[in-house]
Amino acid sequence: MNRIQDNILDENQPDNMLRAALGRNSPAAVELMWDRYANDLLTFLQAMLCSRHDAEDVLQTVFVRIARKRHRLARARCLDAYVYRIARNEASRLISSRKREQIAKLRTESWLMVTENKQELSDLVEQLQAALAHLPQPQREVIVLKIYRQKTFLEISRLLGLSQNTVASRYRYGMEKLRNLLGNLT
Amino acid sequence: MNEKDLENDKLEHLLRRAHIPEPSPLLKERITTEARKAWNQTSLELPWQIPLRRLAASAAAAVFIISIANFSSNHALKKWRPGDVRATREQLPDLETLPEMPYRPFVRHLVSVNRRPSVTNASALRNYVERVRQILKETQQNGASNEQVPDGGRSRLLPAQLSPDSYS
Repeated sequence: MNRIQDNILDENQPDNMLRAALGRNSPAAVELMWDRYANDLLTFLQAMLCSRHDAEDVLQTVFVRIARKRHRLARARCLDAYVYRIARNEASRLISSRKREQIAKLRTESWLMVTENKQELSDLVEQLQAALAHLPQPQREVIVLKIYRQKTFLEISRLLGLSQNTVASRYRYGMEKLRNLLGNLT
Repeated sequence: MNEKDLENDKLEHLLRRAHIPEPSPLLKERITTEARKAWNQTSLELPWQIPLRRLAASAAAAVFIISIANFSSNHALKKWRPGDVRATREQLPDLETLPEMPYRPFVRHLVSVNRRPSVTNASALRNYVERVRQILKETQQNGASNEQVPDGGRSRLLPAQLSPDSYS
């Protein structure tokens, strides 16, 4: 019982630290937010936009927006869900502005990297990237967060504000489509 | 573990051969600098300040609208000259001079009724009440439970002829 309570306290500790920094109106909160969110958010945004460059731009917009509306973040019930909602909104805005301006999206920009510098791996990564780009965006988000950020379904459901079943089914359908797309590789 | 799970594991393994790089220190520098700048530019809004600010904005908008309305009405009044106004009176049409029209007597009657002041005619009302009372008395005296309605089925309570001056 005590161990469970300790775990809950451990989980809430970064939240409390961030809330305290926001409450003090201390700019150090920016550093805390970076350490906590930057890595995961950048991955999530790349999954949404299929572009590292766009993801970096949107990440900057997200941080600036959070800094401006920090009082809302401090009052948010779930910090993670709030931050991810801002990121999703900003990315969606970029996607819709691209559609409005009818700018053809370049899916050739590489956002996945190879772990070793081998030619065959480079080809594989290109194929993986193309296959992931063909998935519907919600399925791609879940797969990328699960595979590349090692998030559990529970964590993803909390971040994206979805039920665990929805996350699991998105993952299952996405993997099925990927299997079909990468039939010769698996 | 069924076949599908095995295939999923293989696919996951394949996907993990690639990775997504972490944000570079340069990117961190760029973004945190921008965020700090935004942080310093915006003062912390206390929750209770938000409704107050909205109230102030609404009041300012109301004052603006009222002053615009005042200004426009003053502007309109400048053009108005009291000497131009003349009292007018609605003249009832002279029915005799009107050209021939259908239902002319009826229209004349309506006009006359309309012109008549609505004062209750007290003597006519008194007569009517008196008459009703008399009928009731007669009915009681004659044991009127099985008495037939006189005058060919017409009620005696109704006046024989209703004139327009009877009750009003």
